Amino acid sequence: MAPQKVARRRPAYRLAVVGRIVLAVAGGYAVAALLTALLSLTLPLVRSEAVATATLLSFAVMVAVVIYVFAAPTLGRAALTVAGLAAVLGGGLWLAGGFAAVGAA
Amino acid sequence: MTAIVVGLNLALCFAGLSALALSLDRHHRDAFLVRPGAARARTLRIAGWSGIGLSFVAAVALEGWNFGPVQWIGALTGAALLVVAFLSYRPGWLRPAALLALPIALVALPLALNG
Amino acid sequence: MRQGFRQSMAWLHAWSGLVVGWVLFCVFVTGTASYYRTEISQWMRPELAETASDPARSADLAAAYLQRAMPDATGWYIELPKPEKPLIGVMWWKSLEGPFHQALLDPATGTPTKARDTRGGDFLYRFHFELGMPPLWGRWIVGTCALVMLVALVSGIVTHRRIFADFFTFRRRRSQRGWLDAHNVFGVLALPFHLMITYTGLVTLAPMYMPWGVVSAYKGDEMRFYVDSGLMPELRAPSGKPGTLAPLSGMVAQGIAARGEAPEGVSVFNPADATPSVLAVFEEPHGLAHEHPQIAFDGATGAMLGSNGATRAAAKTSTVMLGLHEGHFAGAALRVLFFLCGVMGAATVATGLVLWAVARAPQGAEAEGFGLRLVRTLNVGTIVGLPAGIAAYFLANRLLPLDLAARADWEVGTFFGAWALVAVAGALRPAESVWREGLGLVGGLFLAVPVVGALTTGLHPLAGETRFLGFDAAMIALGILLGLAARKAGQARLRPALRADAGITGGEALRA
Repeated sequence: MAPQKVARRRPAYRLAVVGRIVLAVAGGYAVAALLTALLSLTLPLVRSEAVATATLLSFAVMVAVVIYVFAAPTLGRAALTVAGLAAVLGGGLWLAGGFAAVGAA
Repeated sequence: MTAIVVGLNLALCFAGLSALALSLDRHHRDAFLVRPGAARARTLRIAGWSGIGLSFVAAVALEGWNFGPVQWIGALTGAALLVVAFLSYRPGWLRPAALLALPIALVALPLALNG
Repeated sequence: MRQGFRQSMAWLHAWSGLVVGWVLFCVFVTGTASYYRTEISQWMRPELAETASDPARSADLAAAYLQRAMPDATGWYIELPKPEKPLIGVMWWKSLEGPFHQALLDPATGTPTKARDTRGGDFLYRFHFELGMPPLWGRWIVGTCALVMLVALVSGIVTHRRIFADFFTFRRRRSQRGWLDAHNVFGVLALPFHLMITYTGLVTLAPMYMPWGVVSAYKGDEMRFYVDSGLMPELRAPSGKPGTLAPLSGMVAQGIAARGEAPEGVSVFNPADATPSVLAVFEEPHGLAHEHPQIAFDGATGAMLGSNGATRAAAKTSTVMLGLHEGHFAGAALRVLFFLCGVMGAATVATGLVLWAVARAPQGAEAEGFGLRLVRTLNVGTIVGLPAGIAAYFLANRLLPLDLAARADWEVGTFFGAWALVAVAGALRPAESVWREGLGLVGGLFLAVPVVGALTTGLHPLAGETRFLGFDAAMIALGILLGLAARKAGQARLRPALRADAGITGGEALRA
């Protein structure tokens, strides 16, 4: 117990905790938002149904990302995975014309 | 009458969950001071799941697929809280209370069917 | 943050639960009270008896009032009177960014009601998702906390996977184990409710939290999305030229003829424009879904424009989630069960907060750290303070002079004032006795509510008034429960806690 306690007070440990929190909040929301926007454009449903389905799912997606960020063995691995996911989704959204829509709005 | 169906569900869930709780070593000891034999534990488990299953069937049959499951989960929660309260404060009373719930359910059933 | 999945989930559960626990407790308590919002409002306006009023005439009276109040308003909402709330509620605004003005009118005269000035149950309802803050701030904070609650639920299920084996176990005689068992019992027994209420709560405000689907697929045109989803009929755009609104009574009468019931409310879009739209909103038909049938009218001519379409699978799923969250469909018996589940939610959060502090209590002569003291102070300040505020809010409703200016604000001020007072007093009292004193005080306040209510209004069962029996019974039950809890807290202190408890299995999961 004692050595652990000391380890927990080290600045490096605290910094890693802060890093995971920032990654969970920003990365989790970004992935959920990008996936919602992408699915809204690409799901083979009536437009309003695609939007409703994607929006309903978004909160579960964000929870999954947050859980992953805190379960991942290292902060670096978590950051790489989340960034990769966001990049893929962002690319998909760009291909689907999602950014053009936002630009026009 | 929804209130009577809720009552019926509560009674069935309470009887069922009581049987399930008593099928566990720890709670059987709380109530009867001895561990249940293997046969007794199995009987209690079967009785317990039957009660819970029956209340689900009753809820869906009487309230439909929309309200039935919602009401059933609500009743299950309320009944479980009651079982925990008995086990914590008056474990000896759990069996008589569960046995009392059965005739209550029997009375509530025709009322619910007529209502 | 620990080696291994379960350990990191235990860490996540303990810390995520802690940082949002205080807000979640408030959200659960006021949300649970909101299942009885109508009944609370009725009790807080004792001078109003249940009466039927003419909906068409009420709509015209409201329109006349609104045209005087703000001739250039861009939107109105008129809540038509119901027997259990015989008042016309009006709301009006110049911009959707706010400010939103509101008033309650007497359906007989169309002038502001003579009933005492109070926000009634609506205050607790809005506090449930806005925390008494500016709406946007409050909603984002509550939404963030709800998401963290979901994370805490998932990580909690992983951490305490043995909870299903210990389903019925509550070892109330052991201090730390007792708190852990209580946390498990309240959390697990009502787990379906906790998951449902948290997810559906997020869905309720999804257009605000997660607008990106509407942004990408609808270019941000929210109205179009609602019309396509069958949640709203098509409305007309404003022309920019001034015009006059046709009498609303004619449109309400057409609505009654079309649906066989009076609408519960009427929305007016651009009332001073040449092309105003009027929307008659009807009560949800019996069912789980929260779907209001609506009929749109051309406000200039009073002609019917159309009604909202049927919802498809995904939109229906959303409205069912909304319906489940609000529980309007629940009859008296089921409502009691919902209420009970809400109380168990509040209890899960409260026991979790206390457990966090108990599990980290200093051993032996070790001094208590600042963090732990802060957590304990906030625990008392929230778990005792908020109920004290609610009891004081009810008492203020009966005790403040009826002709006090801004009386409703004074009631709300009493709520926050009493809460702050109890929180500060709790911080100053010794840790050994603070729970007993605090819970005892709040119990006493709740027991005082029916007494003060009867004495100040002369309305009580002995005088033949039975309307408030349910409310009074609830106050007495709460008072007794809190009194018992206070006694329990006192006893726990008399029996020195067995230090051995801290070492039992499960302690590691708590401390991780």
